[in-house]
Amino acid sequence: MLDACEAPSMPVPVTRRGFFDRVAGGLYGAALGYLLSRDLYGASEPLSASGPNGSADPRRGFDLLPRPPRFEPRARAVIHLFMNGGPSQMDLFDPKPMLDKHHGEQHFNRIAGEIENVKDAGALMRSPFRFAQHGKSGMWVSEAMPQLARHVDDIALIRSVYTTNLTHEPAIYLIQSGKMGPGNPTLGAWTAYGLGSENQNLPAYVVLDDPIGLPINGVENWQAGFLPPIYQGTRFRSTGSPVLNLRADAEAAPEIVELRRDLLARLDRVHRAKRPQQPNLDARIASYELAGRMQLAATDALDLSQETAATRELYGIGREPTDSYGRRCLTARRLIERGVRFVQLYINGQIWDNHTSLGSELKKACDRTDGPIAGLLQDLKQRGLLESTLVIWGGEFGRLPIAQLPADKDERKAGRDHNKNAFCTWFAGAGIRGGTTYGATDDLGLAAVENRVSVPDWHATILHLLGLHHEELFFEQQGLKERLTGVHEARVVQEILA
Amino acid sequence: MFGKFAWAAALTGLMLRAALAGVSAPTDNPAAPVTQAAPAVTQHDIIPIVERRCTVCHGARQREAELDLRTRAAMLRGGKSGPAIMPGKPDDSLVIQKLRAGEMPPLKRIVEVSIKPIEPAEVELLARWIALGAPEVEIEPDVASSDPDPLVSDQDRTFWAFHPLPTSEQIRIPSANSDRVRNPIDAFLLERLEAKGLTLAPEADRQTLIRRASFDLTGLPPEPAELQAFLVDSDPRAYETLIDRLLASPRYGERWARHWLDLAGYADSEGKREQDLLRPAAYRYRDYVIRSFNADKPYDRFLLEQIAGDELADYEHASEITEEIYDNLVATGFLRMAPDPTWFSLTNFLPDRMEVIADEIDVLGSGVMGLTMKCARCHNHKYDPIPQRDYYRLLDVFKGAFDEHDWMKSNWHETLSMGVRSDRDLPVVTTAERRAWAAHQDVVQKEIESLRAALDEAAAARAQQHQEERLAALPAVLHADLRAMLATTPDQRSAVQTYLAEKFESTLRIDRDALLKIDADFKRQSEEAAGRIAGLEASRLPEPKIRALWDRGEPSPTYVYRRGDPLSPGRLVGPGVPSVLTDGKSPFVVAHPWPGAKQTGRRLAFARWLTRPDHPLTARVMVNRLWKHHFGSGIVATLGNFGRAGANPSHPELLDWLAREFVRHGWSVKAMHRLMMTSAAYRQSSAVTPAHEELDPGNRLYSRMPLRRLDAEQLYDTLLRVSNQLDERRFGPADPVELRPDGLVTPVASATGWRRSIYLRQQRKQIATLLESFDLPQMNPNCIERRDSTVVTQALHMLNDGMVRGLAAHFAERVERDAGSDPARQVERVYLIALSRLPSDDESELGRSALARLTDAWAKQPARDPAAGQAKPDEAGHRALATFCHTVMNCAEFLYAD
Repeated sequence: MLDACEAPSMPVPVTRRGFFDRVAGGLYGAALGYLLSRDLYGASEPLSASGPNGSADPRRGFDLLPRPPRFEPRARAVIHLFMNGGPSQMDLFDPKPMLDKHHGEQHFNRIAGEIENVKDAGALMRSPFRFAQHGKSGMWVSEAMPQLARHVDDIALIRSVYTTNLTHEPAIYLIQSGKMGPGNPTLGAWTAYGLGSENQNLPAYVVLDDPIGLPINGVENWQAGFLPPIYQGTRFRSTGSPVLNLRADAEAAPEIVELRRDLLARLDRVHRAKRPQQPNLDARIASYELAGRMQLAATDALDLSQETAATRELYGIGREPTDSYGRRCLTARRLIERGVRFVQLYINGQIWDNHTSLGSELKKACDRTDGPIAGLLQDLKQRGLLESTLVIWGGEFGRLPIAQLPADKDERKAGRDHNKNAFCTWFAGAGIRGGTTYGATDDLGLAAVENRVSVPDWHATILHLLGLHHEELFFEQQGLKERLTGVHEARVVQEILA
Repeated sequence: MFGKFAWAAALTGLMLRAALAGVSAPTDNPAAPVTQAAPAVTQHDIIPIVERRCTVCHGARQREAELDLRTRAAMLRGGKSGPAIMPGKPDDSLVIQKLRAGEMPPLKRIVEVSIKPIEPAEVELLARWIALGAPEVEIEPDVASSDPDPLVSDQDRTFWAFHPLPTSEQIRIPSANSDRVRNPIDAFLLERLEAKGLTLAPEADRQTLIRRASFDLTGLPPEPAELQAFLVDSDPRAYETLIDRLLASPRYGERWARHWLDLAGYADSEGKREQDLLRPAAYRYRDYVIRSFNADKPYDRFLLEQIAGDELADYEHASEITEEIYDNLVATGFLRMAPDPTWFSLTNFLPDRMEVIADEIDVLGSGVMGLTMKCARCHNHKYDPIPQRDYYRLLDVFKGAFDEHDWMKSNWHETLSMGVRSDRDLPVVTTAERRAWAAHQDVVQKEIESLRAALDEAAAARAQQHQEERLAALPAVLHADLRAMLATTPDQRSAVQTYLAEKFESTLRIDRDALLKIDADFKRQSEEAAGRIAGLEASRLPEPKIRALWDRGEPSPTYVYRRGDPLSPGRLVGPGVPSVLTDGKSPFVVAHPWPGAKQTGRRLAFARWLTRPDHPLTARVMVNRLWKHHFGSGIVATLGNFGRAGANPSHPELLDWLAREFVRHGWSVKAMHRLMMTSAAYRQSSAVTPAHEELDPGNRLYSRMPLRRLDAEQLYDTLLRVSNQLDERRFGPADPVELRPDGLVTPVASATGWRRSIYLRQQRKQIATLLESFDLPQMNPNCIERRDSTVVTQALHMLNDGMVRGLAAHFAERVERDAGSDPARQVERVYLIALSRLPSDDESELGRSALARLTDAWAKQPARDPAAGQAKPDEAGHRALATFCHTVMNCAEFLYAD
């Protein structure tokens, strides 16, 4: 089987049945069918015709058709639970008895270069949460996440991830796109580029952001960067028009919409007839068709009233503080079911960025997410979807073992500052060896020291589970091959795989 | 106590390796000259350490404790507490004592100045150097010399793009018999076409030509009157006249500046951080580019100004800042466009600064030089003969302005920024503008003062009046004594006066607060004055500044950063240009730009080298870019990569001939437009025939013109133009956009519509949705070539966006004004305005029947004003026309130009 980037320029075969599934109800059946087997993107001929070895650009155009992976994939789809802000590893998944022992001792001079807010630095601080071992695997989870603790045998925990910058923006760019600045495709965009989508009426990469607001770095979190924009994440909203401009603010009567559609079709037909051999025009016509179909498909996917009361209850929908995140988790499952390749969930308000009042604030963050995530894992499992879906949990960095004190130096309101040298992340589902705890930090939880996992390693592992190889998934730009893992050495963390 | 904690070893181990690597740096490179008796530690091991840990407070700009640590001599001179080092005695050296005691750098303040603590290994290295007597060795910076270059061979220089531009005599223009040849471009193209059995496509019709040329040169479609005049112009030179007219239009600069701004990575904000701080002065660079294109500024001069404008004239000592000096300085904004988070201390560390510098070098390399210089930042270039050394030589050219150890923050935010303020915006504008600004401030100040004086006067008068009234209420016998008391200062008063004062002064003397309480009229007057003063205060204008790049003198030395890591400095290099683009024998000569200048003159020397008439790349890269914008694809398809990994030129001789013509015409861009657009090749039809499909499927031979989608700006500007909402005021601060809660970013209208998209604020995180959907690029750091995507968001936006629908309604009003209520004339007018042609009979019929059906449908809808009941017939007609106009705005012909 060929790699996504060395795929032949031959169109992917479309079965007769698949063809009619896709064009049903369309005005431009023939044009659309042609396009679905060719391209929905730009010029029919790539402009950069030759690479370093005179090799032709491997793709004639870009589309969202399902593409064969490099090798047999473990995961068909991804749900990325992005915990922006930097969840505290030594308060959730990485217990540190030495912190209890040395609580209150000064440590500042030894780690001053690793602290963002040096003026607030306090002494070593023990966790306010108690830890216990759970499941058959005996994985350690703190009391802050009681629901997830019931699912530890389905998850593989990595305690030794590290990153390279202790400030949110660069660290988020890195975990999302492999580079520390904007302008690069994110993990979801690379996935859509590598694998396309199983559903042509929905975007391949859907973002479920918090209705209250955007995370840090805003829409750059799901950008396509230098990849064609069809691979960019599309925001789905839970209220109003599900996709921006999917409906007009004041929609005209159906009769007028129909007349307009008919007129547009006639005008374009006249234009098209005089210009044979111009696939761009077909692509444009098809994009207008897709606009209509997406309206139905997106509305249907977001309609949670189709779910049973028990299911909604499972996700914590209809009660606080879980309603909002629960809705996004359930929507994620519905999108995955419909063939969407990559769904990414966000939470506004930096709930994991606990610079102050760690005890209460971290608990609040857990209370909002713990139930819905446990519900999602349980629901995916009972529907048999967990076997083919990779669920990823994690943020952009971890937190420090010392206290961060508020202006009044009141230790009861202490939090923890950013830490780039260690953080925790977990995977569940497709291809994951459940119950694994991998890697270790030092006695204080400051730095990953054993089986260290870099961000490129983390990316390579996810691509691997999707049947892609991080070195072979590239995009040629101005003669250069760009990759998610860039020029970094990256290794697949085989030890957590089933 | 924490000895067994492995993390400490993990962290310091990494740092230590880096520091120790620095020790052997100058000798482990085989190309570096090895001095046998070199001491184990020299100043070149020490300078990088003090530069990254100390000189921010003890260096060129800041001299805490009067101490400068940049050189051995300065260390010996020391500061307030005496010499910093005592050669041979590290333990007695103040700097070592302070460092070992952990007092320096002060750990609680390092974040303010964006440095990291010094590593123990670095302190020990410094101690060893002092112990050895603080030896200094003379290492000449590695620069090009008359010796053969060991890293780049003459064989490397034979690659076509690195070869100097041939002279006109050396280029053979093919002889062609075809009567299609209008100028040599056609001869070059026909030679290849005929070899394939093809020829140029037939000439497009006149309405196609004027639409194509108008979009190409001005970014807008022709107005109906212009169209009709051209269609009936029987002059054989009508087409050439049209091109000249379009080139003379001020809209030309607005169109072509945009191409250049893509290359430069223009943006109105800093990017990279959540607070995407605005760059209020950036627009001046945008305006400079527009004016330069309109004035047909020679390209060599254009580059000279943008790369080294600050070294072209002594602006600091000029008696008057002329337009020219101003332009020179504004032009340097070219290299101030990269995303830049360094205004914030936490994103202003050494690696952050190196990213900014790398981005600027990438803009220059990819945009102007057609080279992927950025690849040589961490290692020798993998495809091209560009050693890593050459990258750092180029950095040293820019060191006077981009010095990672003497950095100016990119911006300043009163509450977010920390540390020492530095300002990248230079308060140098033309003397005329500065005078006008000062005069304005002066007028405001005077008005404020006169309002205050008037109020004071009124207050005094009113207080006097109240005093008289109160005095009158007292016995007349006292009046004279009381007046005398009030007129006498307390220390001069007699005992009687003092007594009177105690008794009556508080009643008789009425201050401002008291007056406000007792005098309603005065209170009103006072409030009115306060309101006017507040208004005047608000009308004060900020000091005019430009976002510029300038040489500050005294750059720090440049070391090759191995693997691109500033913690691993290698050999010392001097300024230089990529060796492969030179003869390999001539040194790069740098001189101060004028006698006594503090400026190094390095960038000026570089810019003069870059604009040599026979430079291998400069002219080729630019004509290729101009060609791409006219013909759809470059002769070299990879506009930003003329190296071995880039595409080979499809017509190498044509490229060289064009480049040579460009230089011969004094680097005139407009001459190139004329040349290209008056060729038969440019006038070809865009129709694709079966022969094309078979013999030239990718149009690499230019066997026809491409059918091209309008780009984001052409579409946006055209929507405004056809709907008569285009506000043609030019230049000045960027127009705001509005972010709706649902994520839509939409331009804010002025009283007279909207200005062209080039004047719209380019805030990195808030790009107008319409423009972004149609491929307006994110600038990271720049855009070498736009993509041309077809995605569903475009259709959704054009169908459903409120602004587009509003513009359709304005379009309908315009049509009604021009054509009245006759549907046939309305349809004709819509076609003329939106599609630059008349409808065919069938199209006219289709349009009229659509209008009739839409009118019927709208007549059944409730009226806009619900109180009026059913819609009136004329309202239904108007709404039908608006729907028709909206549909035409959505049709393929509107969006694609043949």
